[in-house]
Amino acid sequence: MAQDLMLEKWSGKISTVTIGATIADGGTRKHSIKIGGEKSLPNLFKEGAIPNKTQIAFEIWDAPPTDWPDELNKIYGSYYKDPITWAKTCVEKYKATCLCVRLQAAHPDFGNKTAQQEAQFIKELLKAVAVPLVIIGCGDDSKDSLILPACSEAAKGEICLIGSAVQNNYKTLAAALSADGHNIIAESPIDINIAKQLNILISDMGLPLEKIVINPTIGALGYGLEYAYSIMERARLAALSGDKTVASPFICFVGQESWQVKEAKANAEEFPAWGKETERGIIWEILTATALIQAGADLLVMRHPLAIEKINKYIEELYQC
Amino acid sequence: MEKFKVTFYPDNLTIETEKDKTILSAAITAGVYINSACGGDGVCGRCKVVVKSGKVITQPNGALTLEEKRRHVYLSCLTTIHGDTEIEVPSESRLEFVNLTPQELELRLKGLYTDAEEIEHVAPGLTEKIFIHSPLATKHLLNLPKPSINDNTSDLERLYREVRKIQNIPVMQTGLANIRQLSELLRDSDWIVTVTLGKRNDTVEIVLVESGDTTKTNLGLCFDIGTTTISGQLVDLNTKKVLGTKATYNKQASFGSDVITRIIYAREEDGLLKLHNSVTDTMNQMIKELIQEHNIDLNDVTCILCAGNTTMTHLLLNVDPTYIRREPYIPTANFIPTIRAAEASISINPRGLLSCVPGVSSYVGGDTTAGVLSSGLYKENDLSLLIDIGTNGEIALGNKEFIIAAAASAGPAFEGSGVSCGMRASRGAIQKVNIDPKSFEIKYLTIAETKPRGICGSGYIDIIASMLKTGIIDKNGKIKIDDHRRVRKSESGKEFVIAFKEESDSTTDIVISEADIENLKRTKAAIYSASALLVRHMSLDFSSVKKIFIAGGFGTSLEIDSAIAIGLLPDLERSRFIFIGNSSLAGAREILLSYEATKLADKLARKITYLELSVDPAYMDEYMAALFFPHTDLKKFPSLRL
Repeated sequence: MAQDLMLEKWSGKISTVTIGATIADGGTRKHSIKIGGEKSLPNLFKEGAIPNKTQIAFEIWDAPPTDWPDELNKIYGSYYKDPITWAKTCVEKYKATCLCVRLQAAHPDFGNKTAQQEAQFIKELLKAVAVPLVIIGCGDDSKDSLILPACSEAAKGEICLIGSAVQNNYKTLAAALSADGHNIIAESPIDINIAKQLNILISDMGLPLEKIVINPTIGALGYGLEYAYSIMERARLAALSGDKTVASPFICFVGQESWQVKEAKANAEEFPAWGKETERGIIWEILTATALIQAGADLLVMRHPLAIEKINKYIEELYQC
Repeated sequence: MEKFKVTFYPDNLTIETEKDKTILSAAITAGVYINSACGGDGVCGRCKVVVKSGKVITQPNGALTLEEKRRHVYLSCLTTIHGDTEIEVPSESRLEFVNLTPQELELRLKGLYTDAEEIEHVAPGLTEKIFIHSPLATKHLLNLPKPSINDNTSDLERLYREVRKIQNIPVMQTGLANIRQLSELLRDSDWIVTVTLGKRNDTVEIVLVESGDTTKTNLGLCFDIGTTTISGQLVDLNTKKVLGTKATYNKQASFGSDVITRIIYAREEDGLLKLHNSVTDTMNQMIKELIQEHNIDLNDVTCILCAGNTTMTHLLLNVDPTYIRREPYIPTANFIPTIRAAEASISINPRGLLSCVPGVSSYVGGDTTAGVLSSGLYKENDLSLLIDIGTNGEIALGNKEFIIAAAASAGPAFEGSGVSCGMRASRGAIQKVNIDPKSFEIKYLTIAETKPRGICGSGYIDIIASMLKTGIIDKNGKIKIDDHRRVRKSESGKEFVIAFKEESDSTTDIVISEADIENLKRTKAAIYSASALLVRHMSLDFSSVKKIFIAGGFGTSLEIDSAIAIGLLPDLERSRFIFIGNSSLAGAREILLSYEATKLADKLARKITYLELSVDPAYMDEYMAALFFPHTDLKKFPSLRL
């Protein structure tokens, strides 16, 4: 017996954000990536167009991370002092199609690099690798207000994704990115209202809504993941119903959240019942990522190459449905 | 116990006080009223005084700047007296109890009562004479047949018999005091007396028996007891004419600016009594002035009708309000039986009656019942909304079929409390502004057009709307511009100067800070989200609300466009908004003048459904979405072209 699917007809659409400018677009990237553009809830391929696959960016730092567990140190530890080589390794060895660089060295506790030094670093990085870049500040509001505009200018023409703008510190960044043609990450604390408000504030500054990627803030599996999931779902429902102020793609910092939980870090001697730590962290990152893909994540920032490989495979299979 | 002399300047009042007493407490004893929005917790920083000489001990706090400490400024609530002391109370720290000027009064009572004398022609469409005239207390002239051997019924029964000839009253009561004086009185007045009949719930009492004919002078009072303002009217019960109207500030403000702090204060030693005395003192002073100005004998005032929120009614009657604040929020009584005014320490005729408009719940009181009655919301065919923008923003939604009400704990920001340069709507308050979109220079209009002393609620609404429009602040309420002579950085963010001290009647610049805007944003969000939730609770939409009655002392000079621009009121056709001024006082007056209105108020208080917002899971979400100018969902404000 033939069955007709009950299909929801949505009036709204998620905006499409392009990261990276190729030579044709006036930049120097070998390729660009597109995220967003959905006309349906996540992975309901029959309901509406889902033109772009979920993308993954490798996370790298420009200062040695102090809280990454051994499983990550084993892989990246030798590059911590040389972020350019770290970046090249991700692209060449692990086939990264996008990099997310965290400018941790600007943080007062991590070297306190100046805006000029960070801008110089971004220029070198752009020369060293040809993939699209996501650039994240050090997390210190006043310092980020200095370094991010400088890096924005250094990367002018390359159409990066730069962040994060928060509700009480978005003006300087929005103004700089608007002038240099980049995209912005708007970060809200698991709150759909603040996510919308921040999008409105940023677009009031002259950076169009189509240039915004929302960081909804997530928790790892077991650490509030379902809360993040429901906020993302609510935002998607509002966007697809026609609310343009929240119709932006999502970026989710999967690696950062997954690798800081006890279940990913603790060794087997401490918790024998939990199994080998060599696998546990990777599994945690994979499971967090898969759940977020179901929630509608468009760009995942991840750490472990094996986890990224598995998720890439999962995405391929999903899109064959 | 050691005692010290404390002198307050510029009043030049000296009192003796015990060691360890706070300056604030000594000031109240001396009759010097100092601002204390937080009720003596040392957090609001409003009770600053200058210690000119003497010995005091203070506690550390963050409300004073170094410069102020150098000038010997102290917080009077945290500072105790340890020697003979001289204290200067600056004008910013004073609670003003001066009566409002006629002009201020006119502003507050605009709408229903444009002018006390114009009561016969009220604003069109409102409070038409719909209730049968039958006041709470009526006077009747009786010419009693003299007793004889054949007609030997007792004096009291004789009186009842004559009363029953005029009215069919099966059950009557008379107080012992009246019975004691009856025999002499009847004979001395040659059996011609005037009786005052008072309605005490469903029975009738002979309140007074007077010699001769006094029926011409029968007066009553109605009061709206607000958390911030108390308004009262003297009414001729025979002609329904309002003889005089007065409004003043509730002296309870020195114990905290909202009902919750006052309920907490009532638990302190003598706290309840102090709160009770503050309100009755205020009312008695107003009554005294009203009768003196109209050359009336206090004995001719036979009844008083009061409308207030549930907490104010409890405090008026000296009833413990504690459980109003504690889950599950139970008041001692919503329906208060009519009592003798003297029992509540209100001075009218010693045997005169006091009645309170019945309330609905702990947070929707008699003032709302009175407002629903006087606005006529209860008989509207179309869906109507009543928004009382006060310290407790009460909201009622309904029509002749149903009424549902809620209270938004809006806070006193629109009444000038909790904001750095806030003041109540009185002389010198900035109430309107015009900001030049290019130069950001400001023209302002103050109440009574005097030099500015501060900013009142409607002024804040207009200022925020203008700052949004000119791009001085973003939709989150943060000041966007940096290099301008009016923009300054302070410890708690940026501030914008509205009036420099040179042009003002204040010792400091009149500013609006980011913290103030945040506070006002929360207040407007509370009122808007409560209204939105009420409407949503009935599965309706704002667009189906045909009439919106705006009540409250602050609503009188409100720019409706500005109130919509900041998201305080829903974006509907401006013609749907109707200012009704003090709807609580208007309702109390109707009830004073008509037994029919009394019965209706009882019915309304039972009929109104109370919605407790705090237990509705959607409330927090509505509130969070409203914490933006005008709202997170811009589609709700289509006329603003954002």
